[in-house]
Amino acid sequence: MTGAELVRRMAEGDREAFKQFYDRLARHVYPLILRIVRDPADAADVLQEVFWEAWQSAGGYDPGRGTPEAWIFTRARTRAIDRARAVGRRSETVVAPLGALGRLSEVQREVLELAYYGGLTQTEIAERLEQPLGTVTTRIRLGLERLREVLRPQ
Amino acid sequence: MSHAPFETLAPVYAVGALDGDDLVRFQAHLRAGCAACEAVLRESDEALAALGGEATPTIPPADIRDALLRRVEASSRPRPRRFRWVAWAAGSAAAAVALAVFVSGMVAARYEARLGALARETARVRQEVLREQATLRDEVAAARTVAELLRDPGTRVVALNGLPAAPSASGRVVWHEKVGGRLFVSGLPPAPEGKTYELWTIAGATPRPAGTFDVDRTGVASRPVAPAADDAPVTVFAVTLEPAGGVPAPTGPMVLGSK
Repeated sequence: MTGAELVRRMAEGDREAFKQFYDRLARHVYPLILRIVRDPADAADVLQEVFWEAWQSAGGYDPGRGTPEAWIFTRARTRAIDRARAVGRRSETVVAPLGALGRLSEVQREVLELAYYGGLTQTEIAERLEQPLGTVTTRIRLGLERLREVLRPQ
Repeated sequence: MSHAPFETLAPVYAVGALDGDDLVRFQAHLRAGCAACEAVLRESDEALAALGGEATPTIPPADIRDALLRRVEASSRPRPRRFRWVAWAAGSAAAAVALAVFVSGMVAARYEARLGALARETARVRQEVLREQATLRDEVAAARTVAELLRDPGTRVVALNGLPAAPSASGRVVWHEKVGGRLFVSGLPPAPEGKTYELWTIAGATPRPAGTFDVDRTGVASRPVAPAADDAPVTVFAVTLEPAGGVPAPTGPMVLGSK
């Protein structure tokens, strides 16, 4: 069963579909949350919050706007950043590049990591890297374009 | 505004890094509806999800799953048809709102253009009315002055006749030796380029300049005349054609004269 089908069933109140949805995605979403909030207890909280919201708002999911994976990852990332900000602890360390990120240039990877995992805004990144804002936004744009290229499903 | 700046703002928004005015601008742009930016956001979200999915899978603590399933079990689902209907209604409502926003945006733009034109037209009419009002005010003031003068027994009305240089011209001077008066002329051809008409008051033998004037397209003019400085009774009024700006003593042909 596709992810979209699972979410559609969740919208109809299918608890079994939710269980499958969780089992399929939680193991991928959890490392992202953990990386952003860096504390296992906080990560567990956020994970639960994210899937609970998914259950409740499954009816609002529109397959035309993206895959269920993107839907849940976007939500997870946002909630995790919110939590990290709330507890004043942000992941701003740039870790060794793995997979797709490793195929970006150093500077592109840096800005994407600071934004996506660190939750830094363009202005904060510009200040931190001591680069003009325009340079930062261009790097984000090009980095994301490159990422889309690298990760494009075959 | 051109779409170009949003091509950079969209990816920055997708990674959640947009802030300040850029964020406000981009959100307004999205609300107005932009398929290109929506597509960038969609593709970026997919790429970022794939990136997140690249991390080594880690099974979260089992108690999270248990807690979630208990919560889901206890929740007041299912709500089958009604929910779908609500979703549909919400979708329709959202579409209606989006359409309304779009349409009102277009209507607003059109009305703004129309309002701009109306405002310019209003300003023009207003200027015209103000000009006419000023003219009327001057005319009323002149008429009042003349009416006042005519009530005074010391006032006389002197007729001016067209002379060979301007045979169809005629004029009147409402005149009071102490307070001056007003000159009215008609039938005078407009003064040629570089020329003007000049009124003279003659007491005794010396003509004294009493002001220059020009006629309108219909050959009509009206202007106040100051009293003579020395109170000497004016015996003759005359109008000559003189170089523009006037001269201290008459040099040109006489076009109007009393007596």
